[in-house]
Amino acid sequence: MYRIIEFIVRFKEYVSLSAVVVMCFSLMTFGNVAQLGGFRSVVVGGIGWLQSAFSWIPNPVALKSENAALRELNYQLSDERAKIRQALIENEKLRKLLEFKKQTTYPVVIADVVGKTTTEVRNYATLNKGADDGIQEGMTVRTDAGIAGLIIASSKNYSLVRLLINRDSRVAAKIQRSRIDGILVWEDDQTMIMKNIPKSYDVKVGDEIITSEYSNRFPQNIPIGYVSEVRDDQSSLFKKIIVMPAVNFTSLEQVFVVKMLPNPERVALEKEIEDRWKSRNSNQR
Amino acid sequence: MPPFQEKSLFETWPAIRYVIYAIIALILSVLHVVFLNLISVSSITPDLLLVLCVWIAITEGQFIGIFAGFGCGLLFDILSADVLGSNALAKTLAAFVAGYFFKEKFTDQTIGSYKFIIAVFVSSMVHNLTYFFFYVRPTDITFSGFFLKYGVASTLYTSVAAIFPMLIKAQKLTRR
Repeated sequence: MYRIIEFIVRFKEYVSLSAVVVMCFSLMTFGNVAQLGGFRSVVVGGIGWLQSAFSWIPNPVALKSENAALRELNYQLSDERAKIRQALIENEKLRKLLEFKKQTTYPVVIADVVGKTTTEVRNYATLNKGADDGIQEGMTVRTDAGIAGLIIASSKNYSLVRLLINRDSRVAAKIQRSRIDGILVWEDDQTMIMKNIPKSYDVKVGDEIITSEYSNRFPQNIPIGYVSEVRDDQSSLFKKIIVMPAVNFTSLEQVFVVKMLPNPERVALEKEIEDRWKSRNSNQR
Repeated sequence: MPPFQEKSLFETWPAIRYVIYAIIALILSVLHVVFLNLISVSSITPDLLLVLCVWIAITEGQFIGIFAGFGCGLLFDILSADVLGSNALAKTLAAFVAGYFFKEKFTDQTIGSYKFIIAVFVSSMVHNLTYFFFYVRPTDITFSGFFLKYGVASTLYTSVAAIFPMLIKAQKLTRR
């Protein structure tokens, strides 16, 4: 026993390093901060309050970027306005003819972005609306341009958004023109890639990407971005499709929280199957 | 009879140092989450908490540094909504490496010289290698490209930020 104690004291740095590393790995297996439960809501509330209190400090980089984006948007909108008017009239006539049901529109909550972490690889935003305004974990956050992210935590007056350009983002998406489905994941910086699209499929630069009806997190047909590059990888059967998000995350200031939650029955069923697969895989190992 | 010497607060109650470290860590974490966006260069920010961990490891030694790294990392994981334990692991290893720069009775000289910048640079490299290795694991992103883009830039920015505490310490040393 004495020898063991002597060994620990002699190599206390290495022993403690090993113990702490093991502790870190155990913590990492928990997954994320969501496991902290109510404590997380306190953290979100506290950080949100601080970010809100100092949100008056201007960010010149964001302002410049926002200005450029608004000019571009203004140009596009004025061009599209005329087309939309015409399309609306046509759409109304066709709906009557085909007796289509009106598309479901969900209520939205307008919220201000009071804090944003778009540095390096931590892409989150804090909104000044929380549970008191009916915002719950799992709701979609969008702007006029398209999908911005997903609510991952909320306190009484604030909520935390995991932005689309985040490692954990996975969106079931569709190419609007050719109706091809795929999974959209964050690649790097401000870009995303669309996975699992075979080389023979019709994808062109400039194609608009929207949310798919297969998504259990986001409402369907919301713009996500557009195809900026199509790469043909010789070593793969699939195309590498680079997607540029429609939302300018640098100048994100006001967003809409769509008050729609994923169907709990569907989520529970999918989770059950996923867990079953995971346990089967671990048993086979 | 020897003249009466008034003891400093640190000498009377050495544990107060750790309380001060904890308060500074909390302030830096909040600063990082709330304000650091404003000084980001191409979305890269300096890791002020890492500079603190290196400071503690050089002042207190490797043993204390390990726990300081773990505590600071865990605090940042909680405040930044990151994967719990990822920053804790990276900062623990970084502080452990920084502990090799610890020289008892020469701590002020180490911090007040270029050695501090070297320590921050090496520790930051270890920190970013560890952090980004686990960060890209669940994704299709290639580690080398991602590390070269973010890891190296972040290391350089953190090393530049470490110049300020080094200069403050150097100025204090010259005044003595």
